[in-house]
Parts: sequence; C-alpha cells; structure tokens
Amino acid sequence: MATLNWRTINIDALDADSPANFDVSSLTPAVAPVTTADVQSLATQIRQLLRGGDTEGALQGALENPPYGADERGKDVHLTTVIEILQSIRQADMSPILQRIYSAPGGTEALDVLMKYIYKGMSQTNAASTPRNVAPQATGGFSQVHTRGGGEGGGQAMSVLLSWHEKLVEIAGPGSIVRVMTDRRTV
Amino acid sequence: MVAPEVHHLFHHPIADHSFSADRQTLAVARENNVDLYQRAGGKFEPKDELTGHDKTVTGVDIAPNSGKIVTCSQDRNAYVWEPSPTGWKPTLVLLRINRAATCVRWAPSETKFAVGSGARLIPVCYFEEEDNWWVSKHIKKPIRSTITTVAWHPNSVLLAAGSTDGHARVFSSFVKGVDARPEPSPWGERLPFNTVCGEFLNNTAGWIHSVAFSPSGNALAFAGHDSSLTVVYPSAPDQPPKAVISISLQLLPFMSLIWSSEDEIIAAGYNCEAYRLQGSANGWQLAGSIESKGRPGIQEHREESALHMFRQMDLKGKSADDTKLKTVHQNTISTIRVFEEGAGTVKKISTSGVDGRVVVWTL
Repeated sequence: MATLNWRTINIDALDADSPANFDVSSLTPAVAPVTTADVQSLATQIRQLLRGGDTEGALQGALENPPYGADERGKDVHLTTVIEILQSIRQADMSPILQRIYSAPGGTEALDVLMKYIYKGMSQTNAASTPRNVAPQATGGFSQVHTRGGGEGGGQAMSVLLSWHEKLVEIAGPGSIVRVMTDRRTV
Repeated sequence: MVAPEVHHLFHHPIADHSFSADRQTLAVARENNVDLYQRAGGKFEPKDELTGHDKTVTGVDIAPNSGKIVTCSQDRNAYVWEPSPTGWKPTLVLLRINRAATCVRWAPSETKFAVGSGARLIPVCYFEEEDNWWVSKHIKKPIRSTITTVAWHPNSVLLAAGSTDGHARVFSSFVKGVDARPEPSPWGERLPFNTVCGEFLNNTAGWIHSVAFSPSGNALAFAGHDSSLTVVYPSAPDQPPKAVISISLQLLPFMSLIWSSEDEIIAAGYNCEAYRLQGSANGWQLAGSIESKGRPGIQEHREESALHMFRQMDLKGKSADDTKLKTVHQNTISTIRVFEEGAGTVKKISTSGVDGRVVVWTL
C-alpha cells in the first residue's frame, strides 16, 4: 500500500456522477441508425436524378437525407455521392441553386449539411488518391509526390469545393461554419 | 438614435459587469479582482477594489436593493461583499464544489443566489441566520457537464441553467424557510428542490452560452455555440411545451442575451455587436443590429494629403489603418445587462466584453 502513488489514481473513476461513468453518447441528439445498403440505394436514386439532368433535385435529395446514423462506410458512400453532385454543377449555377435551397423550408439545415460535406471532402481529397490506411506521418513528404503524380483530380476536386465554400458562406454566413464545428451529428 | 456611451476601462477582458441600482457604481471582474468604479460626470473613475479571490473572477452581481455584491471565481469560492464603515467586508460562501465557479446571479428576492460550476452542479446559496453564514444546496441531477450560465425566473424559485452538455434546463430551487410557496406557472405547480421543470436540447447539441426568462417568466430563451437562438413556450406542467422555436443564424454565436420585452430579445457575442430579435410563439427572426451603421467617426475617411498617404504606404504597406472593427466593441461581447427599464420595456442596456469596454446603449 505504501508504494501506491496517489497522484495517479483516477479520481473520476471513483465518482459515480463523473463523466467517466456514463455513456457520453446519451448527451447527443438521437440519430436513427442507417445501414450502408440504404445509403447505397439512396445513392443510386440520386445518380438517376443526376443522369436525368436534375442536379438541383439531386443535391436537395442528398442534403435532406444525411446518413448521420450510418457507419464509416455508409458515410463515405454518401460523401462520394455529394461530391459527385457538386462537381457536376457549373460554377455559374452555384449561387442560384444555393439561394433557392436556402429560401425553401428547412433551408438553413440543408446548407449546414452541405457545409459539413464540403469540409469533409476537403479533408479527404488528399487521402482519396493515396491508400487511406497509410498513416500520414509514415509517408510524410513522399505522399505529396504521390498525389502530384496520380492525383491531378485531387487538386481539381479541391478547387470545386473551395468555390462551393465561397458561395455558401456568402449565403449561409459564418454561422454555418460554426455549426459544422459544433454539431455532434457528423457526416 | 442616441450615441452609445462608451467607457474604455482598461486593456483586459471583462468577464462580467454589474451596475448598482442607482447606476452610479459599476463593478467589473478584472483578472483576480473586482474593480468598483464610481460615476463622475460622464465618466467612471476607479474607486475601490475587491481583492480576495486568487484565480480569475468569473462572475459579479450587485443586488439592486440590498447593495450586496456577490462574486465567484475559478478558485472555487464565492464571496458576498457588504459595505461597512471600514470598506467592503467579504463573507465566504460554502459552495462545496471541486471545480471552478463559472457564473453567479442573485435571485430577484435577493435572499438567494445561484452559482454555475464546472463540477456539474449548481450551488443555490442562502443565508443561514442561526450560524451567520451563507450555505448552499446543490442542484445535481441530471446535469452532465459544466454549467456556463444561470438565470432566474421572476418568482425567485425557478432557475434556468445552460450547460456544455448542450442542454438548457429549468430547475426548481425552492428552499424551505427562505422562499414563499410560488404561484403555479406553466413550468410547474408543486416544486420541491431540484425538480426538473424542463430540459431542452438543440438539434446540434452545441454548448449553451446564455439563458434568460422573458419578463413574465412564461418563456425561456437560450443561445448556443451553434449560432442558434431557441425560445421555448411551456404549456402546462408535465406537458410538452406549446412551442419551441429555434432559429439558426448566419452570424457568429451569441454569448449573452436579455429580453427587452415579451416579444424582443437583445443578444450579442462573437460578432462584437448587439442584435435585436423579434417574435412570438409563432416565430422569431433577426431584426438587425442595434448599432446604427452611419455613426460619425467610423465611416468617415479624413481627407489626407498625398504625402501622408504615400508615407503610410511606405511604413505599413497600406494607406488606411484597417485594424479597427467597425463596431463599438473591438472584441467579443461577453455580458449584456439591463441598464434602464420603464413601463415594462427595457430602454437602455449595458454590454461588456473582451476588449475592456463597458458600453451603455439606448434602444
């Protein structure tokens, strides 16, 4: 007993009310679980709209049903869908589409979802061309060379996302950026 | 539009400020102390200093009738300061918390005050005559994280609290022997201590920065770090609320809010200016800033000589000094308070912020 270092005792574990002893997920808003298959079928529907030329409908459909309750794979599927839609819309059409979504009921919510996907897309454009399971520190400068070699698409995707980001902030304001950081429902 | 009365007190953040009932004394929390300023003409002059806390003071509140000042600090203590012939006399309050105190407010009855804390509980403090001592009772359940803000209902029994777990809650803080039995309200009829009369969570579950009851007490507003403002209208005890209106704003989050009347809220925060929001149980919307944009001295560009312009270009790489915000406050506003009230509506408000300014605004 004399050798017990009391400084290393985790006092929070001994306190019944401590956050260490309850499930933190009970604090966040409940999200309905979504299976990857569901996300996949939604993606197929949206692609159909996209092929039919209804880009705005596709975007709206994708933003109204964010798979908050899906696992990582399901979320990645939906991200790919959203990025595909964003890339298929011409720069001149961005602001009018955003304006129409914003003025529709539930518009701020939809634009917040879009902002989440823009940020998620930005965080993944580099990773997309390199294998995802490679630790970034392991490749270091090497990965940059690699992206430049095979990832011309990466830079292009980033520039599309950046122009969407610019147009979106003009309409939804910095508030939507703050909400991306605050929101516990991640995409 | 009357120009705002700006008092730039010092170059430190002001965590909280409070005016005395006659508005002649101003108390501001400055680092580990509370500075008292006395109005002298159009200015506030330093007069006294309340020293005693040994960590950052997070809350200060002057009781309007008794003149007692309560302060709380990150050192986990709260003091009640009373004027005496030899200066301000502090009394230590037994908070019994093991984390920092974050905010403090007197109940309208002035017999109690509530302290928010990082210990996931709210000490409700009252004076024990027999022992000549301020003691506390803890509101504990179901708080899951730090309390960032507290606000009192006009009946001095109901207490609203906002927390970093994303919930705004309404509690009963009824203390036998201190409080009279409250009138039944839409929030509840029987109200033993720690009754949870309402618990509200935004969709995003963002931190709550500020809560406030409407003047009648029959509505609750709260602002969170998700740049939203939510107004709750309760219907009857143990029933779901009549209306919960949540609006997501384009602005940066609000840090503080007050009701100026039953249908108007003034809120301010990271945008460094205060905004007016108007609405009712049918809906709320942003009605604009309370700062008039064409204020003299801000937009006007002084005529300057070409020599001056080129000298500035040479020295600073630009001709105009654009390091100043166009708002009166030059940094986040952390506290809004009512300054003057008349006929049921608020006529003047005061704001303080990270820039060390206290500003009095005429609405």
